[in-house]
Amino acid sequence: MSTYRALFASAALALPLALAASPADAQQTTLRIFVGGQQRPDVMRQILDVYQQRNPGTRVEIEIGGATSDQQQQYLNTVLTSRDAAIDVMLIDVIRPAQFAAAGWAEPLDAYLGAEKDAIMARYLPAYREANIVGGKVIALPYFADAQFLYYRTDLLEKYKLQPPKTWEELASTARTVMQGENNPNLRGFATAGAPIEGTVCTFLVPMWGAGGQFLGAQGKPDVNSAQARRALQLWTDLKAANVTPPNLAEVVTDRIRVDFQAGNLLYAMQWGYAWNRFQNDADSTVKGKTNVVPLPGFAGNQPATCIGGWQIAVSAYSRNKQAAVGLLRYLSSPEVSKMQAILASHLPVFAEVYQDADVLKVNPWFQFARNVVVTGRSRPVSPDYPEVSEIIRTNMNAFLAGTRTADQVIADMNSRLARVYR
Amino acid sequence: MATAKRYRLSKLERDERRLGYALLAPAALLLLAVVVYPIAELLANSFYSFRLTRPGYRFIGLENYAFALFEDDRFLHSVLNTVIFIVVTVPGALFVGLGLALLANQPFRVKWPVRLGLLLPWALPLVFAGLIFRWFFDFRQGFVNWLIELAGFDPPQWLSDPQLAFAAVCVAIVWKSSSFMALILLAGLQTIPKSLYEAAEVDGASRFQQFVEITLPMLKPAIVVALIFRTITAIQTFDIPYAMTNGGPGTATETMAMYIHKTTIDFLDLGYGSALATLMFLISIVATSVYLRHTKRDTGRG
Amino acid sequence: MLAKLGKRKTVWLAAAIVAANGFFPALWILFTSLKTEAELLRHPITIVPHDPTLLNYVRVFVDQPILLFLWNSLVVAGLSTVLCIFVSALAAYAIVRLRIPGRNIVLSVLLAVSMFPLISLMVPLFQTMRTLGWLNTYPALVFPYAVLSMPVCTLVMASFFQDIPNDLENAAMIDGCTRLGALWHVVVPLAAPGVFTAAILAFVNAWDEFLLALTLSSRVTSRTLPVGITLYQGEFAFPWPIMSAALIVAIVPVCLLIAVFQERVVSGLTAGGVKG
Repeated sequence: MSTYRALFASAALALPLALAASPADAQQTTLRIFVGGQQRPDVMRQILDVYQQRNPGTRVEIEIGGATSDQQQQYLNTVLTSRDAAIDVMLIDVIRPAQFAAAGWAEPLDAYLGAEKDAIMARYLPAYREANIVGGKVIALPYFADAQFLYYRTDLLEKYKLQPPKTWEELASTARTVMQGENNPNLRGFATAGAPIEGTVCTFLVPMWGAGGQFLGAQGKPDVNSAQARRALQLWTDLKAANVTPPNLAEVVTDRIRVDFQAGNLLYAMQWGYAWNRFQNDADSTVKGKTNVVPLPGFAGNQPATCIGGWQIAVSAYSRNKQAAVGLLRYLSSPEVSKMQAILASHLPVFAEVYQDADVLKVNPWFQFARNVVVTGRSRPVSPDYPEVSEIIRTNMNAFLAGTRTADQVIADMNSRLARVYR
Repeated sequence: MATAKRYRLSKLERDERRLGYALLAPAALLLLAVVVYPIAELLANSFYSFRLTRPGYRFIGLENYAFALFEDDRFLHSVLNTVIFIVVTVPGALFVGLGLALLANQPFRVKWPVRLGLLLPWALPLVFAGLIFRWFFDFRQGFVNWLIELAGFDPPQWLSDPQLAFAAVCVAIVWKSSSFMALILLAGLQTIPKSLYEAAEVDGASRFQQFVEITLPMLKPAIVVALIFRTITAIQTFDIPYAMTNGGPGTATETMAMYIHKTTIDFLDLGYGSALATLMFLISIVATSVYLRHTKRDTGRG
Repeated sequence: MLAKLGKRKTVWLAAAIVAANGFFPALWILFTSLKTEAELLRHPITIVPHDPTLLNYVRVFVDQPILLFLWNSLVVAGLSTVLCIFVSALAAYAIVRLRIPGRNIVLSVLLAVSMFPLISLMVPLFQTMRTLGWLNTYPALVFPYAVLSMPVCTLVMASFFQDIPNDLENAAMIDGCTRLGALWHVVVPLAAPGVFTAAILAFVNAWDEFLLALTLSSRVTSRTLPVGITLYQGEFAFPWPIMSAALIVAIVPVCLLIAVFQERVVSGLTAGGVKG
C-alpha cells in the first residue's frame, strides 16, 4: 500500500522521469556519473543538485577518477571492459567518441533523441556536433568546450610597445626583445607541453596546421611526411636554440606551464582554458590582471589553427538505467548548464549564444576573445585506436624535443606506425 | 581420537600420504586458478587478433610473434633497455649491497638504526621509490641538482636526456634493491666464524687479504643466490621507471614490462599483448631454470 | 688508545652511512610534506621547512579519499595474508613432516612460481577478471597476492617447522590427537614466530604491490595506496606537498610494523632468500 503511494507521489513529482522509467525503478533511481578530477567535480555537484531538486526520483552520485585524460581512460577501461554497470554516465574527452563507438561502450543516443535529433545537434558549435557523431550515430553530447590559447603578459608587451603576435615569427622576435630587455634569468619567452602526454600531440599538430599542413594525406591515410610537418618541428628547434623555450621543454607537463606563467616566469604560454581562472584568482598568482589571450599564431601567410579540447557526456552501454541517464544527459548538455558552468567554472560554452550572454561576459570578459579561438579550432585525428595514434605522436615529439631523434627519424617513425594503426 | 589405537605402520604411511596431499591441495588449487589457467589462456590468446576496442577474435597463427620479433622496433628496444637495466643494476646493487653489509657488520651497541636503515628501502613500495627519486632528479626543485649547483656546476636535465634519465632510473633501482642484497649478504657474513679471522690475524694477514681470502669465498653462495634472485626480478622492472619517467624521454627508459602493460591496458590489444607476455615468460623460464639448477647443486653439495 | 678511538669513530661512521642511506628519502618526504607549495617552488630549494604547516595532511584526509585507499590496502593485504598463511602453513607442514613422494617436485614448483614474471600473469589475469566481472573488486587482488607470497611463506614456515622436535607431535598423537589436531595444538603454537614472520612478509608484499593493483583495480573505490597515490599526479596537477603527506601516511603503518618486528623480518627475509 505505502509502496504504491510512494510510487504515485514520486511519479507525480518527477513526471518526465516517471514517464521514462519502468514502475519498479520509479521509486528512486540512482545514477552514477564519472568525472575526471580536472573537470571541476565541485561545480558538477552544484549542477546535479539542481537536477535532483527538479527530479526528486533521481539521485546522482559523482565518481571522480584520473587527473589526466589518459588516466581517466585507463580508469574507464577497467570498468567498461568488464561490462561493469556501476557507472551510468561518463564524461569523455573530445578525442574519444570514435573509440567508444567502435568498442560499443557508449549507448547510441539516436533512438532516445528521436525526431528531435537533428534539431538538438544543430544547436551546438559545429566542431562539437561533428566530434560526437560517429558513423551517423550520436555517441555523446557536448558538456563544455576547450581550446588552446596563446596566453600573454599584457604588462610586458606594453612595456616594450609590442602587439601580441599573429605569426610564429613575430612570437619569436617579440619574445627575444622582451627577454633581452628584462634580463631576468628566470624569464622565458614561451612554453608548451613537451612531456609524453596528450597535450604534446597538439605541440606537433598546431604549428603543422599553422603552416598549412594536414594530418591525413591524399588517400585519407595519415601522412606527416610533408614540408609543413618539417617546418613545425623546425620551429621548436629554433625556439629552443634561441633560448625562448625552457631548456627542459621535453619534461614540461601542462600544469607546469600554468605554474611557471603564474610565477611570472613566462611571457607567452600555449595553454588550455582552465588556466585563466587560476591566473586571476590564485593567491600566489603574480600575473593577476596582467594576462590576456589571443588565438595561437600561424606561420606568415597561413591560417592559424588550434587544437580544440573539451568534454562530452556519454551513457554507458552497460548502464541499467539508460532512459534516466539520457534524461540527465539532456540536462547536462543544455544551454542552461552551459551557462552555469561558464559562470561557476569558466568552462567554455558549447553554444554560440552563451558566449554573448551578459551574465557570462560579466564574469568572463575574455570569452569574447575565446569564442573566436574555439570556432576556428580543429579536431585531433579521429580513430577508434586514438590512444595508439596519440602515443605515436607524443613519444616521437617528446624524443624530438629531448634531442634524441632527428626530424627525419620522427617523421619516418610516425608514418610507419600510423600506417599500421590505420591499416 | 578413537582411531589412534588402530594405527598400523602401512596404514599410517598411507594415511600420512593422503593427509599430505590433502594439505597440499589448497595450494595446488590456488596455483591452478591464478597461475596455470591464466597461462593457458595467455598462450591461446597470443595466436589471435584480439582487440577490445574492435569486435572480433580471429586466429592469426604466429603473426603477433612475427611482428614482435621482426618488425616492432619499440618492443626490441624495450627488450634492449631491460637487458641494460639488468646488466647495470644487478652488479650495481651487489656492490652497493656488499658495501652496506660490510658497514652494517659491526659490533654496534644500538642495533636498530642500522637494521631499520636496511629494512626501510626494502619495505618502501617500488613505485614510491620511483616517485621520490623522480623528484630528487627534478631539474629545478631536485635535490641532486641542488648539490650540483652547490658544487658550482651547471645542473643537467636528468629526466629529459635519454642517457641521464637511464642513469637516474638505474640509481633509483640500485638504491631500492641494494638493501635487500645487503640483508642477505649480512646474514651470510654473520655465519662466518670469527675464529677464521683471528687465525688470519695471527698469520699477519692484512684486512684486505682477510676480505679476499676469507670473506669473499665464504660469502660466495649467498652472493650467487642473491644475484640470480635479483636478475629474475630485474627482468620484470616496471614500477620505478613507470613512476620516474613513464618510459621517457621518448621510449628511452621503457622496459619490456612497461610496453606489455601499455599494449594490453592502454591500447587494449590483448592478442598482441599476450604474445609479448609469452615471450617474456619464455625468457623468465630460461632464467629460472638456471636458478633451479644452481640451488639443486647447492643443496646437493650441502 | 688513538687506534681504539679511531675504530670507534669508524664504527659510528659506518652506522651513520647505512642509516642515512635508508632513512634519507623518507626524511626528505617528511620535510616536504610540511612545506607550503610556495616554498616548494623556491629556488634554490630549501631542505628543512621554513614555516612548517600541517595543512597538507589536512588536505590529504579531507580532499583525497586516502582513508578509503588505506582501508582498501588493509583489506586486500589482510585478507590475502590470511589466505596465504593458511594455505602455505598446510603446504609447509606437508613438505616438512609427511613423507610424500614428489616432495622435490613440489619445492621446484614453488620456486618456479616465486620466479614467475608478474607481468606475464597480468595480461591473462586482466582478461580472466574482466570476464568474471571482478575488475575493481577485492577478490581480483586477494587471490593473486595470496599466490604471489605463497612460495616465500611456505619456505619460511617450513624452515621454522623443521626446528620443532618431532617428539612433541608424536607425544600428542599418542595422547589421542589426530595429525591435524597435533598440527593445530602443538605445532602451530610452537611455530607461531615462523607463522608470524611469514605473515609480515606476505602483508608487506601485498601492501607494496603496484602492477596488478594498477591493472586490475584502478577504480577509485577499490584503489590501494600505491595506486591511489601514484595516480594523484597528472597532466594538470603535480601537488608534491600533498603527495608527500600521502606518502607519509602510506609508509608509516609498514614502517611501524617492521620497526617493531625488525629481527623477525630480517630472519624471515634471510630464511626465504638464502635457503630458497
